[in-house]
Amino acid sequence: MNVIWFLILVSGTVAMLFTDPDGAIRAMLTGSGNAVTLAMTLIATYGFWLGFFALMDKTGVSDFIAKILKPVIRLLFKDADDKTRKYISMNISANLLGLGNASTPMGINAINSMNKGAKYATTDMIMLVVISATSLQLIPSTVIGMRIAHGSNAPTAFLLPCMLSTVTSTVVGVMLVKLFSRIFGEKPRERKKKKAATPSGAAFSPPVLLTPRPAAKSDLSSKGGKA
Amino acid sequence: MTAYVIPLIFLTVLIITFVKRKNGYSVFVDGSKSALSLMAEVFPYLLTVMMAVELFRASGVSAAVSSAVEPVMNFFGIPKELTELILVRPLSGAGALAVLDNIYTLYGTDTYVGLCASIIYGSSETIFYVSSIYFSKSDIKNLRYSIPVALIATFTGCVLGCFVMKLM
Repeated sequence: MNVIWFLILVSGTVAMLFTDPDGAIRAMLTGSGNAVTLAMTLIATYGFWLGFFALMDKTGVSDFIAKILKPVIRLLFKDADDKTRKYISMNISANLLGLGNASTPMGINAINSMNKGAKYATTDMIMLVVISATSLQLIPSTVIGMRIAHGSNAPTAFLLPCMLSTVTSTVVGVMLVKLFSRIFGEKPRERKKKKAATPSGAAFSPPVLLTPRPAAKSDLSSKGGKA
Repeated sequence: MTAYVIPLIFLTVLIITFVKRKNGYSVFVDGSKSALSLMAEVFPYLLTVMMAVELFRASGVSAAVSSAVEPVMNFFGIPKELTELILVRPLSGAGALAVLDNIYTLYGTDTYVGLCASIIYGSSETIFYVSSIYFSKSDIKNLRYSIPVALIATFTGCVLGCFVMKLM
């Protein structure tokens, strides 16, 4: 993220120096202004959906959805506890309904509830981000609306390949995360220089790291038994 | 049909609230309370990403990068007119929508280019936005392989979608 952000800013500013020296700052301020406008819209969206999610939570509807999705979530997320699983299932179902912005607060909650103090993203967190970022969206309503606005003769002509594409991207994403978690393990490779300097790395003792899976499984089943 | 799904879910939850005799009003208030504080956490990320994206587009760098990677897109069977859409899409939803609008105006909605553009926009997400916002409330900075995996997966989906569109 840092590298890409840096490259964009440097290349953009340098390019603007040749074409329109005032433009760089102006563009960045326009972008910041766009962020404010979007934030205002998002506060309304989040406010409504968080209120609605609270209703679903209090009435037990979210527990019900979590129960339905439990087999899938268990398969994808090794270490998720009950609370996390509930957030994940709300996040995924909102995504399926095409409510991308409504799913965001639940995604943030899920990441927070997975966070056990590590400085890096765990496999479960990466899985959630990849599933959300590959958008398993059933009905791309924005695109259909836009095609109608442009006078398309067949506004939904692209739906079949589109669905194929979104399903493929999610499946490929999930498989890659599974594969990479096997290859790279649970912990990022530390750079040799930093190794001695960071005490946080030492906090994770090797025996725990070597057996994350059985531990996670017993944890899950004991919690599942209670529910 | 889909227009009914969400209102019906909403209605069901309201009825259950009533049947279970919960105070729906105060529950809703309590839930929406966290929207402002959530935005306070998310906003810095929003601003930092969006101002960079605006510069990326306005400076013409995105157009330059697009023309540079056109051969690669051609190799994967994606029309070269859609390169900028593919580049901007993971960065910004609004930015990509502007590019999509432009493509529809230039090439029409029902041409191969227009249909492929619809597939690409409809089947992908703002990857960078999602991944930075999701971690905005935690102090995790190392996202490891999440972004590359999401990018590769989305691109694979787009390539396949465009390929199938060609067959239809």
